[in-house]
Amino acid sequence: MSRLVNSLTRRTLLKSTAGVAAALAAPAFVRNAIAAGETINIGWINARSGPLSPFAEADEYVLGLVNAALKGGVEIGGKTYAVNFVLKDTQSDPVTGSKVAKELISADKVDLVMTSSTPETINPVADACEAGAMPCLSTVAPWEAVYFGRGAKPGAPSPFKWTYHFSFGASDFAAVYIDQWAKIATNKKVGVLLPNDADGNAIRAVMIPALQKAGFTVTDAGPYENGITDFSAQISTFMNAGVEIVNSFPFPPDFPVFWRQAAQKGFAQQVKIMQIAKAGLFEVEMEAMGDLGNGIASGAYWHRAYPFVSPVTGKKCDELADGFEKATGKPWSQQVGAQMALFDAAIGALKASGNPKDKAAVAAALSKLKVETATGLVDFTAGPVPNCAATGLVGTQWLKKDGGKFPFTLEVTSNVLVPKVPLTAPLKPFELG
Amino acid sequence: MSISRFQYERWTPAGLSTVWTSCVILAALAVAPLVLPATAVEKLTTLWIYILLAVVWNLLAGFAGLVSVGQQAFFGLSAYLTLRLVEWGLNPWLALVGAAFIAGAIAIPISLYALKLKAGEFAIATWVIAEVVRICVMFDPLVQGDTGNSLIALNAYAPDFRRDVTYWLGLVAMAGFLVLTFRVLRSKIGSAAQAVRDDEEAALSVGVSVMQTKRIIFVLAAFGTALAGSIWLASAITFLPRTNFGVQWTVFMLFMVLVGGLRTFEGPILGALIFFVLQESFSSYGVWYLFGLGFIAIVFALALPDGLWGLIRQKRGGDLLPMGTLLKQAPIENEAS
Repeated sequence: MSRLVNSLTRRTLLKSTAGVAAALAAPAFVRNAIAAGETINIGWINARSGPLSPFAEADEYVLGLVNAALKGGVEIGGKTYAVNFVLKDTQSDPVTGSKVAKELISADKVDLVMTSSTPETINPVADACEAGAMPCLSTVAPWEAVYFGRGAKPGAPSPFKWTYHFSFGASDFAAVYIDQWAKIATNKKVGVLLPNDADGNAIRAVMIPALQKAGFTVTDAGPYENGITDFSAQISTFMNAGVEIVNSFPFPPDFPVFWRQAAQKGFAQQVKIMQIAKAGLFEVEMEAMGDLGNGIASGAYWHRAYPFVSPVTGKKCDELADGFEKATGKPWSQQVGAQMALFDAAIGALKASGNPKDKAAVAAALSKLKVETATGLVDFTAGPVPNCAATGLVGTQWLKKDGGKFPFTLEVTSNVLVPKVPLTAPLKPFELG
Repeated sequence: MSISRFQYERWTPAGLSTVWTSCVILAALAVAPLVLPATAVEKLTTLWIYILLAVVWNLLAGFAGLVSVGQQAFFGLSAYLTLRLVEWGLNPWLALVGAAFIAGAIAIPISLYALKLKAGEFAIATWVIAEVVRICVMFDPLVQGDTGNSLIALNAYAPDFRRDVTYWLGLVAMAGFLVLTFRVLRSKIGSAAQAVRDDEEAALSVGVSVMQTKRIIFVLAAFGTALAGSIWLASAITFLPRTNFGVQWTVFMLFMVLVGGLRTFEGPILGALIFFVLQESFSSYGVWYLFGLGFIAIVFALALPDGLWGLIRQKRGGDLLPMGTLLKQAPIENEAS
């Protein structure tokens, strides 16, 4: 209402001011009139170019499925709306992310913004949405980095009214790892390699105490700067401590550097479990490491073995994975299901809002959203904190597979957090060569 | 060369009309948020930040010969200090302005060391200082390494109000800093700075206080960059150490000044406008856009070292605003001899 009054006063002002200003401002009003029709405009921001672009590799495929499924529009509150997606690229740059989010809010005048994958993409977009009173839904980044990393305080009421995030959390890793590592015999000595960044610090704070409580001896090599090229100090610390389990949350390009040096120094040969997160999401990373990649354990926020069905497209998870491989010729990745889930939850929220053109109603629907997605149940009423929903992780392991379509496959080796997901293989000890 | 005669010639009719035109434009820009759509207000705020950054870097490198590649130290520092001050309970708007002053003040102790270095060494040192400042800031639990934080305190204000106030803050900072730079450059400090830039030893020999002059310019530039950093934080909300302390801010500054015209007052403003238009039109091309920017910078460095304003000045035979020292000096000397 206030926006209407505002634009009316602007309109009256325009008539009385210079013609140049009127000519400048006119397109915005024209757009306004069209947007007021029966189309829901959803902005979708992702890092589609630059170093984070692997996270967008499934975008085109997923968007194609969604557009086909929503061809006839969506019925909400007795009305049928057409759905239009406006795609923006952050170029893997938080500054551009902030800029394109503002464009979606002020120029494209969308009804909802979706974004995903890494705090570097999500946080600037969510901040712009929170500041611009625009409902925003995001996924794929530890919820702690998105919630606490944007200024929320533990124990205090949530400072966010418009932005909602569903994902795994830093606190989920310990539970998965404790379950996964119990599956083979080790000396329970863990070396952790955590950088001084959002994920590293969140993990350091919550995971190490949990591991110690579960009876593991933890050696922390200390925070390091992303992009360093010499890990020999960390490797000798781990060797001296006699660790058999290594756990790392590296900036993806740093991992091969560490792991190759570990092999050169004879450390990789004593490791029984090499557990990574953040790196190792994509099959090509393993291919690039060859033998060193065989047996690396990781975690997954989606897997083709997930037994869930995407409500928007009606596709099962293995259908999504196969469809992606067929459409692109690339091995399926976790992003296929995770991006699908983003659409599932977004459409679910718009349906629950009763009026998708009312931003306050959409935000209110997001805060109470409880919907099935390709990654399982997304429930914003259950916490862990307001504005965030936890979706869990499974433990996985990359294994070389002869005769497969691609050199490596990802097997599910622990399902303690998402018990509905079947295990596909037992965890094998890492063996070099 | 008599100084009194020199001073009488400082205001040209063209200069005065430029001042009046600028006042009219500024007045129009001041009421612009009332009529322009939100997206134009946001984009113009970015333009004010760019102009401010370009003017600052030109002040440093163009007029004082201090080629800094570490201005992002102050750009990021004021954003960080804003968050710190807000955490301590200060009103976010006051914090934004206060942080810029504190960041400017921090430049004083930094200048004690940095300004002893010359040319390339100074350039490298400023970059190192920027990295050290970033690493120190990342130790603060409020920032938590690369995690960063956000100025969510500003969300207490309605989006339209916040957008407009940020715009005015940017406009006032940009215009204010332009006036300040103009006044400083036309004062004794401006002449001294240019003497130092051209030849430090010679300047010292004629009684210019070299360190003092360099320090004033350095601190002023730090303050200007910090103001830009504060306004950027107000418009983006997000503080990520690697982004706010990113070297790309200095690269932007360098590009704008190089294209617009180093050592001129008007050049950086022109350069900022060009950069802004390029970014708005072509940034969606990603890598090719960056490639294009680099190519343009190389072409300007090789073929047009005085930038676009240098070319325009040649054609029209003078500046819009008389700086009174650099170019007017030659004809005056000829007349005198």
